[in-house]
Amino acid sequence: MEAYRQEIIVGSVVIYMLFCVATGLWAMRRTHDSSDFFVAGRGLGPIVVALALFSSTLSGFGFVGGPGLVYSIGVSSFWMVVISSTGYAVGFYLVAKRIRMIAELRDCLSLPDVVAARYGSDAVRFLIALTIVLGVMGYLATQILAMAVVMQAILSGTETFANIGLVSCVVISSAVLIFYCVTGGIIASVYTDVVQGFIMMIAGSLILMTAVSVFDGGMQEATAIILTDDSEAIMPFGSAGVMASLGWFFVFGLGLAGQPHLITKMMMNKKMSDNRSILPMSLFGYVMAALLWISIGIVMRAAVIEGVVEPLALPDDAASTFLSIFANPLLAGVVFAGLFAAIMSTSDAFLNIGTAAIIHDIPKALRGRSVDNELFWARVVTVLLAIVAAGFALYSHYADATLVALLGAFGWGTFAASIFPVVAVGLNWQGATVAGAVTAISAALLINFVVQLAGIVLPYGISGPLVAFVTSMILFIGVSLLTKKPELAPDIEKVLRI
Amino acid sequence: MGQLLLMIGLADSVPNAGGQPHPEYPGMVIGADGVARLAHIGSLAFLFNSLLLTLVVGLCILGVSERHRSRKFLAGMGGSWLFMLAVWWMMFSTHQEFLMTGETGYFMGFPVPTAWQMYGTWLGAIPIIVMYSYGFRTFIYTYEDEAEFDALLEQATRNSQQD
Repeated sequence: MEAYRQEIIVGSVVIYMLFCVATGLWAMRRTHDSSDFFVAGRGLGPIVVALALFSSTLSGFGFVGGPGLVYSIGVSSFWMVVISSTGYAVGFYLVAKRIRMIAELRDCLSLPDVVAARYGSDAVRFLIALTIVLGVMGYLATQILAMAVVMQAILSGTETFANIGLVSCVVISSAVLIFYCVTGGIIASVYTDVVQGFIMMIAGSLILMTAVSVFDGGMQEATAIILTDDSEAIMPFGSAGVMASLGWFFVFGLGLAGQPHLITKMMMNKKMSDNRSILPMSLFGYVMAALLWISIGIVMRAAVIEGVVEPLALPDDAASTFLSIFANPLLAGVVFAGLFAAIMSTSDAFLNIGTAAIIHDIPKALRGRSVDNELFWARVVTVLLAIVAAGFALYSHYADATLVALLGAFGWGTFAASIFPVVAVGLNWQGATVAGAVTAISAALLINFVVQLAGIVLPYGISGPLVAFVTSMILFIGVSLLTKKPELAPDIEKVLRI
Repeated sequence: MGQLLLMIGLADSVPNAGGQPHPEYPGMVIGADGVARLAHIGSLAFLFNSLLLTLVVGLCILGVSERHRSRKFLAGMGGSWLFMLAVWWMMFSTHQEFLMTGETGYFMGFPVPTAWQMYGTWLGAIPIIVMYSYGFRTFIYTYEDEAEFDALLEQATRNSQQD
């Protein structure tokens, strides 16, 4: 079997991609209007929503960057994983019920629609839509680039595609992504997410079993090796220190309820009461998949220190090196398919919300109505958005990484800082005002931009997104208290009381 | 919390508090002197996370309608908050202990302080999740809430038909 390792891996990835294409064709027949395209007609069952929710949370970053981070900075990065229970809990308590109610009551297709209904303000709608578009461009570009780099690594190991270029890999991987997103919209997206979620869970648990067998003494031997080399790396705050770790706890924990690609999924379930099972199922799925993140990172760091493996050229090589040395070819095939699944499940979610922002929300904010023939334009803009993001990805790779890095700054942290106060707090506090929301979003965008542009390094590993998040929360509450309490629409007021 | 963040930012700095490159392996970062890194900000960081955990529980309470914040609910939330704080305290204090003695035991593959972080932090929020799932029809979305919302939907449908 070892002789066919590369063929098995390529075969697994091809089967997975064919499945995505087939799902797109199947979902196309179920997509009749823009409501189907953007929110699946609010008719999804709990298992579908739960798997879609967790698989969108764990992007390619979790499968490639996650193990690399543990290899690099030790336990510090565990904080991004262990906060999942807190993050999902806060998200469901604060957002799941009310976003679903407002979405149904006002027939909302997107998060900015919900925000506009809550605040009765197109300015807030516009700012949220703008934040989403900026964030989507950065996220999508990095995801497409990651997908292409992995595909090139896999294909170049075969005789036929030994010299395949990165551009070809961008084209192939983007084509599959675009096809199923354009044909089937969010329906294709969430149903591929279901399979993607299962693949990720299986990959995570199998990798854990493989990882604990690398050293005779299991995980304890691996952690003891790291402890002997540098105790701080394996202690609770890791190499990056206490404030970097707690910053991630804050931004990733609370911030989960501010991620537009995740909370939009909370609008899609058929029955409100399904939330009671969606929460634990999402969390379970996330934890199973994240086992890969932790176990590969720890074992690879210990293996390099112990001399079992040569030092890695880059921390992000941790997962691929682990798979090539320690994993059975079949497992490697599953994990590589899982990697594509992780990247695509996040990318399709971003394509969907980005398209909604461009053809639905921004026109509504600027001229009071969406574009005509929304479904047609949704498909056109999905293609264009993916092409522009792929262009950014290639430009950043070959010419200048600054642009994507800048847009990449509009990632998780900026979404958390801009959207959490306005949505998660605003949906539960009648005193929140338009001025408070506009100030919070603007401050969050500004701080993240300035920290990124100026390359500001804060002491003790305090991150820009943490400062932005705390500041936007303070401003949101402070400005809302100082400005006149708004008169809410009667239906919204009732929803906020339920 | 903003003030705490400011105090931490203005505290006496420690070289390489955010880690330094590993002397042998490129791409790896080491934390080195754990005592020095916490010397000026240890108690502030402890307070920061204690407030963060309080904020988490406070936000969960905010997410529940005022009329459902019964004594039973608040007691459950209070218990969860104490549980989370206890886990945080155990993690922090066992780490301090390790920094002083250089010795640690292991639990399920990890040094004890890290086990508190990994298993404890994750489990810390489980009571809140259990309350959400099992108390869904008591605290989160009761049958009365459902009836009220259905009436609201009917009203909205009637209004749109009239328009």
